[in-house]
Amino acid sequence: MSEGLTHAAWSDALREGVLLGGACDDCGATVGTPKAACPHCGARGLEPVELPTAGTVYTETTVEVPPEGIDERGYQVAVVDLGVARVLGRLDGAAEIGDAVALAGHVEDEQGYVVPRFEPA
Amino acid sequence: MPRVAVVGAGMTEFGIHDVPLEELFAEAAFGALDDAGAEPADVEALYFGNAMSGQAENATHLGPKVAAHAGMAGIPVQRFEDACATSANAFKNAVAAVEAGVHDAVLVGGVERCTPETGRDTAAMTRVFASASHRQYEQPAGLTFPGVFALLTKRHMHEHGTTEEQLAHVAVKNHGNGALNPRAHFGKEVTIEEVLDGPVVADPFRLMDCCPFSDGASAVVVVGDDVADSYDAPVDVTGVGHATDVVPIADKKTPHVTQAARDAAEEAYEQAGVSADDIDFAEVHDCFTGAEVLASEALGLVADGEGGPAAAAGRTARDGDVPINPSGGLKAKGHPIGATGTAQVVELTEQLRGEAGARQLPDADRAVAHNLGGDAATTVVSVMEVRG
Ligand SMILES: [Zn+2]
Repeated sequence: MSEGLTHAAWSDALREGVLLGGACDDCGATVGTPKAACPHCGARGLEPVELPTAGTVYTETTVEVPPEGIDERGYQVAVVDLGVARVLGRLDGAAEIGDAVALAGHVEDEQGYVVPRFEPA
Repeated sequence: MPRVAVVGAGMTEFGIHDVPLEELFAEAAFGALDDAGAEPADVEALYFGNAMSGQAENATHLGPKVAAHAGMAGIPVQRFEDACATSANAFKNAVAAVEAGVHDAVLVGGVERCTPETGRDTAAMTRVFASASHRQYEQPAGLTFPGVFALLTKRHMHEHGTTEEQLAHVAVKNHGNGALNPRAHFGKEVTIEEVLDGPVVADPFRLMDCCPFSDGASAVVVVGDDVADSYDAPVDVTGVGHATDVVPIADKKTPHVTQAARDAAEEAYEQAGVSADDIDFAEVHDCFTGAEVLASEALGLVADGEGGPAAAAGRTARDGDVPINPSGGLKAKGHPIGATGTAQVVELTEQLRGEAGARQLPDADRAVAHNLGGDAATTVVSVMEVRG
């Protein structure tokens, strides 16, 4: 990928507390993760955009049986609605669907991949 | 107008199998061939599904391995991987190839081992299953597959008021059906209280809301419409729809509607010239109780938001107006990933022939199978009918 939002750029921004997404000029959709083209209409050249860092919980669950490699239990995973787009991440501090949350950092896996971490706003 | 016909169907018991994948698959393959009155030499191609034995058992390039073990070395074998929709995708491609005249007779099936017989415990296999969620944007959060469907189901509960008790009704029904199926992983009935008292896996799902890790294989023989009547018990395939949706979950337009299932159903119904109202029963992908609720709505069998109430009211029971998962479904029959899609076709075949034994439905003339993969981003929907 020589143009548009990459995983590397998305991850670097997240480490600095910024959420990046891609906006489609053709259909108006905004997605919360890098895509080489719009997943909703196929248009190339999504414009990298800074997403809001606060929103509401769209859906969530608490994982009690983790995969190998994660020792903790009872962690919450949520899809957060930022208005223009949604992103998935960890949620620390109990929150339910509709509750206000804000970006509070990130979590990193054993391979160095990061996803957003939210807390109740 | 049939696209093709299924003339033979076979499957192993779903459960725990301490045998190599090749032996497991051969049992199902020979079951299908014997049912069709055919021999390995009659099979012109194998459409084969296996989702993750590379990760689970360090076994890849399985196509020629299973073909060689079952007397079919030499023929072309194509292997499919689409997470839990693996062998339905194989079936879809087999139907297309036979319909187009590329082959006259093919074998379609799948095999998988997911139990600790693979050497992998629950945590290890949970990680293998999680490989179907997005590596960069979902897996680092610790998202598991119960978690994926929990996210979809909780939004459905929020939108429509679906309750945990309604979900429990799905588990109770499917365990009851599974108790009538000699090949089911779970052969005992459970109560609403037992389901609701189980330990939480990923809320709202408790242990008995979740399908088990299973080992097993399934296979069917597919032939052209023009030669189907030379076999003893052909069942028509009149439509197969296949669609995908956006990954990851957060970028889907409306995750809980499972749009790929709606698109695949529309395509399958259109090919068959039918609507959801014409369907007598369904086998759907109930990897979790909530998934059956979503599927029942996506297929149009019940109205949006009515999946939970329909289950609780007994509408989806074997004596209800839209029976769902008479086999016991993934929930009770079991879910050996790559074998599940064609196992649904096996159940449709047996029910439509009137050969389903204690779980036989009355007046079953037309049925639909719904097999999804990953976070529902792949769905294959197939319509089968009593041969006209
Ligand atoms: Zn677009």
